[in-house]
Amino acid sequence: MTRLAQVINLENCIGCQTCVHSCKMQNNVPMGLTWNRVLSDGEDVLDGASGVFPNLSRTYLPVACQHCQNASCQRVCPTGATYRDDEGRVLVDYSKCIGCRMCMAACPYNARVFNWHEPVRDPDFNYGGKDVPVRPKGVVEKCTLCKERAAEGKEPMCVQNCPTKARTYGDLDDPNSEASKLVREHKAYVLLEEQGNNPSLHYFD
Amino acid sequence: MELLKRNKVLTGVLVLLVAAGIGCWIYQLVAGLTVTGMNNGTSWGLYITSFMFFVGLSAGGLIVASSASVFHIEKYKTVALPAVILSTVCICLAGMFVLIDLGNIQNIWRLIIGPNPTSPLLWDVVVITVYLVINILYLVNMHKGNDRTVSILSRFALPTAILVHSVTAWIFGLQISMEGWYSAILAPIFVASAMDSGLGLLLITLVALNSLKIFETPKKLISSLAGLMATCIAIDAFFIFCELLTMAYPGTAGGSIILSELFAGQTAPFFWIEVIVGLIAPFVILVFAKNRENTKLVVISSACVMLGVFFKRIWLLLTSFITPDVMGAPGIISGSSSAAHSTGLDVFAVLSSYAPTAIEIFVVLGVVSLGVLAFIWLTSKLVVEDAKPASTSESSPAQADGARA
Repeated sequence: MTRLAQVINLENCIGCQTCVHSCKMQNNVPMGLTWNRVLSDGEDVLDGASGVFPNLSRTYLPVACQHCQNASCQRVCPTGATYRDDEGRVLVDYSKCIGCRMCMAACPYNARVFNWHEPVRDPDFNYGGKDVPVRPKGVVEKCTLCKERAAEGKEPMCVQNCPTKARTYGDLDDPNSEASKLVREHKAYVLLEEQGNNPSLHYFD
Repeated sequence: MELLKRNKVLTGVLVLLVAAGIGCWIYQLVAGLTVTGMNNGTSWGLYITSFMFFVGLSAGGLIVASSASVFHIEKYKTVALPAVILSTVCICLAGMFVLIDLGNIQNIWRLIIGPNPTSPLLWDVVVITVYLVINILYLVNMHKGNDRTVSILSRFALPTAILVHSVTAWIFGLQISMEGWYSAILAPIFVASAMDSGLGLLLITLVALNSLKIFETPKKLISSLAGLMATCIAIDAFFIFCELLTMAYPGTAGGSIILSELFAGQTAPFFWIEVIVGLIAPFVILVFAKNRENTKLVVISSACVMLGVFFKRIWLLLTSFITPDVMGAPGIISGSSSAAHSTGLDVFAVLSSYAPTAIEIFVVLGVVSLGVLAFIWLTSKLVVEDAKPASTSESSPAQADGARA
């Protein structure tokens, strides 16, 4: 089996948001939506820090679809528009989506965004990869681990463009992959483990 | 049709509201759900609230009507006809709210060709369809006076009525991601609140039909139904208390966030009005037998219960959306009603919020008005116009008397 994933080194993440914009460009994500976010962990302002001066800390947390192996979004989708492919990715078949947004309620990571209106792009053209499908109004969308790039043997755009190499892409079912080694060596953890979704994305610091 | 013609002003206003609602819905279909207040943080709003509310109102009506047959409660049989008309109308409205909420309704056929059996939403579609069919069969057979068929149907109607609101609860109660929803007691709460709000609507309707001299309900029966409603309010309140205590006791961060929103946060007005106006006040009024004989107090209590249950739907739905499980700035993109129409960094929201737009409110008013029209039409068809043939075959004298009046 294959279980495509990313392992993210939070120590390296500098909160530059390059991955957010790389994703948006590659995946033709319209205005008002993003598939990937870099949060200032637990803060209510961007780049905020916690603690009292001089004992401050700041952690950036990149969050996108966690490609859960026990995906709550997939379980609740009434039409099977959300599915898990044989490489362990959670994907959306836009042609089956009825726009009920049950998956958005079920996802603990708020990884899903909805096309509330006809997609608006600025600049006004489809800037995404040539094989990335254009989503219509009224369907839900989210990170695909850049499956169109994966088909060409390339890494996801967020991984390729990260200036500090905080992101490692690979197959967690292959014990020799770089991603598997990082998970093992750094005892990488998953977000919201208590929710039991068994996410593929791992984090370490 | 007779009743619709008799009350020309009311009919006119309702037709206008329906037209406005349809207009707003068409606008929403063209422009997308962006014309509502819903957003990436609070992805369900007034439509789903109304859906829950009307499933409950419907289930309450049918539970009374069918338990009359199942448990041989003769006196309840008298009001079975208006109860089932209410139930049928309300479930149609509930179904309409789900359809209106869909962002991509033209793909609805995918539900039939590729259903996902693990989806509670799919279970609900199936159960609501079955329930609607039972309701219609019930009406038809009651109208024809097939007592035997009605009594067989009631044995299916009662469990289906309980199931229909349980499945609606499971859409929410099975989602582990939502601290305020994820609870085994949500289905029992929904059934109890369906009973009390459904009885509230039935009582108000019966009193209204009484005063319009369309359908007479014995006064004793009104106070008996009010007593049943008081019992259901108590059960509802007990279940809600169990839910809140279980959430509060471990003192977890997630539970505290929900409770602080309920007690003093964004959804606090809805929570406290439900507790005080929707549960305590009507219970305290109706617990005294003397008050149950006072029709005015019964109507006021019924209205309080319905308002309380509607507010319960609001706080239940919205509270869990406010704080994301993974929190941090800048937050969720288009994550609140105002962020969804902003630019720059304002397009993000750390905490989500939601306010319905005028479009949403008009659509809901339109749907409800359509329901009132449908109820008046069905009442004049089944209760008024067919009073004479019904009075010869119908065993209940009160109904026939009421119809003649």
